[in-house]
Amino acid sequence: MTDLRGGMDMKTYMGLYTAIHNFCTAQKAVAGATTFSAHNNRGGAHLLGEDLYQHLIEYLKSHLQGVQTRSRDHVDEALLTFYIKEWNRYTTAGQYNNHLFRYLNRHWVKREMDEGKKNIFDIYTLHLVRWKEDMFIGTQESVMRSVLKLVEKQRNGETIEQSHIKSVVDSFVSLGLDESDSSKSTLDVYKEYFEKPFLAATGEYYNNESKQFLAENSVVEYMKKAEARLDEEKDRVPLYLLGEIMSPLMRTCEQSLITSHSQALREEFQILLDHDKQEDLGRMYKLLARIPEGLDPLRNRFETHVRKAGLAAVEKVAQEGENIEPKIYVEALLEVHTQYQDLVNRAFNGESEFVRSLDNACREFVNRNKICKSGSNKSPELLAKYTDTLLKKSSAKMTEEDDMEKLLTQIMTVFKYIEDKDVFQKFYSRMLAKRLVQTTSASDDAETSMISKLKEACGFEYTNKLQRMFQDMQISKDLNTSYKEWLEQNLDGEDLKKAIDTTYHILGTGFWPLNAPTTPFTPPQLIVQTYERFARFYNHKHQGRKLSWLWQLCKGEMKANYCKVVGTKVSPTFQVSTYQMAILLLFNDSDTVTYDEITEGTKLGKETLDPSLGVFIKAKVLIASPDGAKPESGTTYKLNTGFKTKKIKVNLNIGIKSEQKQEVEDTHKTIEEDRKLLMQSAIVRIMKSRKKMKHQQLVSETINQIKNRFMPRIPDIKKCIDILLEKEYLERLEGDELGYLA
Amino acid sequence: MAATASEPKKVTLTTSDNADISVEREVAERSILIKNLLEDIGDNGDAIPIPNVNEAVMKKVLEWCEQHRKDPPASQDDDADSRKKSTDIDEWDQKFMQVDQEMLFEIILAANYLDIKALLDVGCKTVANMIKGKSPDEIRKTFNIQNDFTPEEEDQIRRENEWAEDR
Repeated sequence: MTDLRGGMDMKTYMGLYTAIHNFCTAQKAVAGATTFSAHNNRGGAHLLGEDLYQHLIEYLKSHLQGVQTRSRDHVDEALLTFYIKEWNRYTTAGQYNNHLFRYLNRHWVKREMDEGKKNIFDIYTLHLVRWKEDMFIGTQESVMRSVLKLVEKQRNGETIEQSHIKSVVDSFVSLGLDESDSSKSTLDVYKEYFEKPFLAATGEYYNNESKQFLAENSVVEYMKKAEARLDEEKDRVPLYLLGEIMSPLMRTCEQSLITSHSQALREEFQILLDHDKQEDLGRMYKLLARIPEGLDPLRNRFETHVRKAGLAAVEKVAQEGENIEPKIYVEALLEVHTQYQDLVNRAFNGESEFVRSLDNACREFVNRNKICKSGSNKSPELLAKYTDTLLKKSSAKMTEEDDMEKLLTQIMTVFKYIEDKDVFQKFYSRMLAKRLVQTTSASDDAETSMISKLKEACGFEYTNKLQRMFQDMQISKDLNTSYKEWLEQNLDGEDLKKAIDTTYHILGTGFWPLNAPTTPFTPPQLIVQTYERFARFYNHKHQGRKLSWLWQLCKGEMKANYCKVVGTKVSPTFQVSTYQMAILLLFNDSDTVTYDEITEGTKLGKETLDPSLGVFIKAKVLIASPDGAKPESGTTYKLNTGFKTKKIKVNLNIGIKSEQKQEVEDTHKTIEEDRKLLMQSAIVRIMKSRKKMKHQQLVSETINQIKNRFMPRIPDIKKCIDILLEKEYLERLEGDELGYLA
Repeated sequence: MAATASEPKKVTLTTSDNADISVEREVAERSILIKNLLEDIGDNGDAIPIPNVNEAVMKKVLEWCEQHRKDPPASQDDDADSRKKSTDIDEWDQKFMQVDQEMLFEIILAANYLDIKALLDVGCKTVANMIKGKSPDEIRKTFNIQNDFTPEEEDQIRRENEWAEDR
C-alpha cells in the first residue's frame, strides 16, 4: 500500500486519500442493501474499514520485521544510530498515514472506539502499538545495552553523543500508551525498559567504583569523589534524561555511594572531630544527610565528643584547686560551647538535631563535671559569682557597653544549660542585694538588661524579687529626698547642724535575701538619735510598718579630727562599718578603752567584735597593749594619736572572711529549705487538682513540674510526701494510692 | 500574520472536471484534508488535485469557506451538545443552502470528503429540517424514495415505534 520512503507529491497524496475515502464509501451501498439484522443495526449507516485496517496492520508488521532483522547487523552506537533513524522515519510516516487515513479515523475507527472495542486505535497510535509489539520488544534489550555502554563511557570521562540517548528516551516515552485510553500516555514502558536497567547499571557502576576507590584512597578523598559524582549525576539528568528520573537516580547513587559505605564514613567522623576538620565534617554531613537516618549515629558521637571535650576543659581548670576563679571556670565552659556551636553552624548547617545534641552535651558537662563533684550547685554558684564580678564597680576594667552586653549574653548561654536554676537565683539575688545596698553596681543599664534576660529565660516569677529589689532602691531614693525636706521643716537650725547626714534604704522583707544581724548590738547614742528621728518620720508616712535595722550592712564615715593627712591640713576620714563606728565612738570619751568596756558598750558578739578590732590594729588606728595581745578580756586599746596616712579617705570597712564563707553555706542551706517548700507546694498543687493519685505517678508528675528550676531527687520527694502525710494534707489510701485532704 | 496582511498566499485546486480554482490558502484550509496535506507535503506551488469534487460544487463549497474563514476551529468536545441538538442554522447559511436537492447532497458529500465538519453539519441540518414534521409518504415524496416495505413490515415497524408517535 504505502511506502513513504521516497517522499510524495500531491497527486499521490490526494490519490491515496481519495482511494481510502472511496473504499469506505463505495461499499456503503452494498452494506446498506443488506436487510435489517442485529449485527449491522448500529442505528444508521454501516461503516466500513475493517479490511483496510487489518491490511495496514499486516503491512506494518512485515515492515517492522524487516527493520528488526536489519537491526541485528548493528551493535553499540551503530545500533543506536540505526534505531533512532528507523524510529524517526517510522513515526514521520505514521504522521502522514494518520492524515491519509483520516477518513478511516473519523468514521470507522471512531465508531469502533465509541463502542468500546479494545485494540482499535487511531492510525498514529496503531503505528506506535505495532512498533512496540513488533520492533521494541525484540530489540529493546540490545538498545538499552548500547545506551548503558554509552553512559558508562561518559562516566569514565569520555565524550559521547548525548542526543542519541535523548532520542532513545523520547522514543521509549512515546511508547507508553495507556491501554484503556489512547489519548493518554503513561511512563510505564519507559520505567520498565529504560529507568529500571538504567538505575541497575548505575548502582552497579558506583558500587564497583566506590569499593575500589575506598580501597586505594582515604575516606576524606572518597568524600570529595562521592560529592563530585553526585553532582555529576544530578547534572546528567537535564542533559538527556527525563526529569522524572531525578529522585530515583539520586536514591540509587546515594545507596551505592553513601549508604554502602556509611560505616566507613562514620568511623572517620571521630578522627575528623579530633582534628577539627570543619570542611571535611561539612562534606560528611552533606553526604550522610542525603540518606535516611544517616546522621543519627553522627549526632550521638558528636554529643559524646562535645561532652568529653567539656569535661576535659573543666578538668584542666580544676587543677587550679578548690577555690577556682569563677571567671576561668565560666570561660572554660564557654570556650567549648563556642567552638562546637561554630562547628554546628558551619559544618552541620546549623541543623536543629545537631543543635540539640550540642545542647545535651553542654547540659551534661555544665552540670556534671569535676568541679561539681560535690553536687551540681557549684556551676550556678560560680556563674552567679562571675556575673557579680562583671556587674560590680571596679576601676580596673571598665567594660564598654557592647562588651558588657556580649558578656551577659554569654552568661545566659551557660545559664541555659544549668539545671539548678534556683541555685543561681539565690546567689544572684544575694549578690545583687549587696551590689545595691553597697552601691557597688557598675551600671543600672547592665543590671536591668541582665534581669530582663533572666526574665526572658525563666519567666516573671523567677525575676519578680529581683525587680522588687530594684524598685525598693528607687522608692528609697525618693524617700530620702522627702525626709530631708521633712527635717528642714521640723528641726531648728541648731539641731539641723548637729544632725548626722544619713541615707536610708527601705527594703521589703520578703524580697531581699538578707538576714537579721547575727550579733546583738547596742548602737551608740548618736546613731540612736538619728535613726529614731527617721523612724518617727517613716511611721508618720506609713503607719503600722515595722523597721528592723540590718546593722551588718550599714556603714558610715568618721572624721579623725585628732590627726592630719600627711602634708595637708585636712583630717582624714575613716570609712567604717556601723560596728566599727560604735567601737571608735567609745574613744571620744577616753583615749584608752579596755576590751571588756568595748564589749559592754557595744554588746557585740565576740565573732564580730574581734575581727573588727583586728582591722583597726592592722591599720594602726588603735594600739593594743600589751603589744600584740589577743582580743580578750584584759587587753587594753589606745587610740593611736600619731596615726599617719597619705589618703584623705581611709577604708577600714573590710569584709570579714569568715562572714563570706558563712554566707555561702547559708545560701546553700536556704536552697535546701526552699527546695523542700517548692516540692511540697508542687505536690499539694498536683494533689489538689487530682484528688487521688498513685505514689509513683505523683513522684514523676512532681519532677515534671519542678525540673525547669532544678532536678529533684526522688528520695527528697518521698520525704516531702511523708511530711505532708504527717501534716495531714495527704492520706494513704488502699494500695499504692494517696488522697488529698482538704 | 505578516504574509496574510501584505499578500494572502494562494493555492490552486484542480477539480474532477479539470478546472483550476485559485483560492487563498486560509480559505482552502477550512478543509482539514487540504490543511493536513499542506502541512505534510508543504506548499510547493503545485495544483492540488481534488478528484472527488467537480467545479460547480467546489465553487459553492469555497464560497462557504470564504464566508466562514475566520470561524474558530471546532474543538473536540463541541459535537456534544449545542451543535447536535439544535437545528438552528444562521441566516447566511440558510440562504446558502437554498439550492436544488442534488446540489445539496453534492455539497454534503464534498464536505464529508474534504473534512469540513461545520459545513457537513449545516448540510445535514438542512436535510433534517426538510424531514421534520413530515409523514413517511411525504418524506418519500420529497426525496423521491421508493417504498420497498411490504405492508406487514410496515405494520411491525409502526408497532415497534408506537411510543414515539405524536398523538
